[in-house]
Amino acid sequence: MIRQLIILFYILIGALTPSISVALVIGSDQEEIYIDANFSGEELLVFGAFYSDPSQSRDSKSDILIEVVGPPEDVALRKKDSYFGFWLNSKSVTFRDVPGFYYLSSTSELSDEFLANNQIGLLEKKKSEMIDWSLLTTDWGSIINEKEKEEFYSALIRTKQEDSLYRKVFDEIEIIDGNLFRSYIDIPNTVPVGEYTVNLHLIIDNEISQEYSYNFIVTRVGIEEAIYSFSKNYPFFYGLISLIIAIIIGWSGAEIFKRFKRI
Amino acid sequence: MSIYLPIAELSVNIFLLLSLGGIVGFLSGMFGLGGGFLMTPLLIFIGIPTNVAVATSANQIVASSISGTLGHWRQGLVDLKMGGVLLVGAFFGSILGVWIFSRLVAIGQIDTVISILYFALLTGIGLSMLIESSKVIRDRIRRKSVKRKIHYHNWAHRLPFKVRFYKSKLYISVIPPIIIGFVIGVLSATMGIGGAFILIPAMIYFLGMPTSKVIGTSLFQIIFITALVTILHATTTFAVDAVLAFFLILSSVIGAQVGVLAANKLRGEEIRALLAIIVLGVATKIALDLLVEPNEIFNLSVIRLVF
Repeated sequence: MIRQLIILFYILIGALTPSISVALVIGSDQEEIYIDANFSGEELLVFGAFYSDPSQSRDSKSDILIEVVGPPEDVALRKKDSYFGFWLNSKSVTFRDVPGFYYLSSTSELSDEFLANNQIGLLEKKKSEMIDWSLLTTDWGSIINEKEKEEFYSALIRTKQEDSLYRKVFDEIEIIDGNLFRSYIDIPNTVPVGEYTVNLHLIIDNEISQEYSYNFIVTRVGIEEAIYSFSKNYPFFYGLISLIIAIIIGWSGAEIFKRFKRI
Repeated sequence: MSIYLPIAELSVNIFLLLSLGGIVGFLSGMFGLGGGFLMTPLLIFIGIPTNVAVATSANQIVASSISGTLGHWRQGLVDLKMGGVLLVGAFFGSILGVWIFSRLVAIGQIDTVISILYFALLTGIGLSMLIESSKVIRDRIRRKSVKRKIHYHNWAHRLPFKVRFYKSKLYISVIPPIIIGFVIGVLSATMGIGGAFILIPAMIYFLGMPTSKVIGTSLFQIIFITALVTILHATTTFAVDAVLAFFLILSSVIGAQVGVLAANKLRGEEIRALLAIIVLGVATKIALDLLVEPNEIFNLSVIRLVF
């Protein structure tokens, strides 16, 4: 509620102050997403307001663009080939610092040219930095032709898309009253933990007029966090406790049943 | 309702897990099997990563084999000495198995190798069960009784380092049981199975153990192999999911007891034939996954850095 009031306040300031011709104001629902035992994905709410000067030409077109970038991770991409009728993993490429999650959303479909010029988007921005071809783990010699590199690159994007970890959409931002916007972004249950960045752009007549960024964190909490870090820090005792649980349940199951059978 | 699995790092429906554990437990109680050979592939089918499926199955088998051993133990049907000798081999076998497993994970071939091993195992199990049960059904129709040999004498009795196993009434070399234990240890660590399906016939035909002592003894030593495999996986591949294991153990222990009850009430051969068909169905699915050209020939895995 307070946030909504603040937004309203900014809109008024925007309207009243002649020096500010356009404004973009963000209110965000949450700074953290918690992964607990019940976590099955979440909807991230991004909302805010934008104001463009009414004295500008009525034909000018304004768009909102939302970009969510997840924490970087290293991934291995493997390609299957047919050997004697069996489909087995063959060539493999390691990609460094690939975003674990990527989401691009805008109020209308923006041209690739626009995205490239403004360094927005996965393909456009990260391509050269992201792929370190020198990290190829196998078959380095047989994979170096450009066509095959391109094939691996598009497969990376495609497999991430299939897991709903990479998405590009044009119809998920709701505009209310011409000045307020709201978008629910699906965060699937397979998202990596870490720091995420939300970048917002107000685009007027194919020019970025305002930008705004903020971070949020996806983190494990409660018993999930306790189990995960215990398994990494004290693997032997973790294994031992898993065993003890198995022994107790296995033993007591048999004992309880034995009594049950006597009755 | 779903639950997030901290090690597998995904959420699954809790009722799906409980019914999976319950069904596998039921079948294992009914047929006196460990059930690992069905648990691991079914976990993989529902989307659990292969390494987590294998390591967590081993943990689950500890519970089900303890439940199973207790009954045999009370009736004095466990040959401790034979179990101990088998374990010596199994100890080294499972260390080698976990090492092979982590190498396969590193080079990205674990899924393929697990699929091929499971295809071979399930086809073998399914066919032998189908043949056996149909023979029994046929013999019953012809009103014949099945004759079985009780004791076998073969090459296993001619090797050195002979030891007396009083409980099994055997005087044989320790080399065959150690080798059998070693092989079971490797398979248990790489496939997440107890290995009773291979162990029991091996103990009967290679070692010539009396059938009455075989099940208890094999269950007894499976407790220790799978316990060791659980610890080895927890410390080297970090793939044991305690939350997943908890739900599987809970439901499979209950399912197993119901299965034991059902086994006393139902006629075995028909159900055994049905299980054989289920097992062959799972094997066929695995084979198709290997043979049919996949929709997506690329697969992605996140390389986790272990701190």
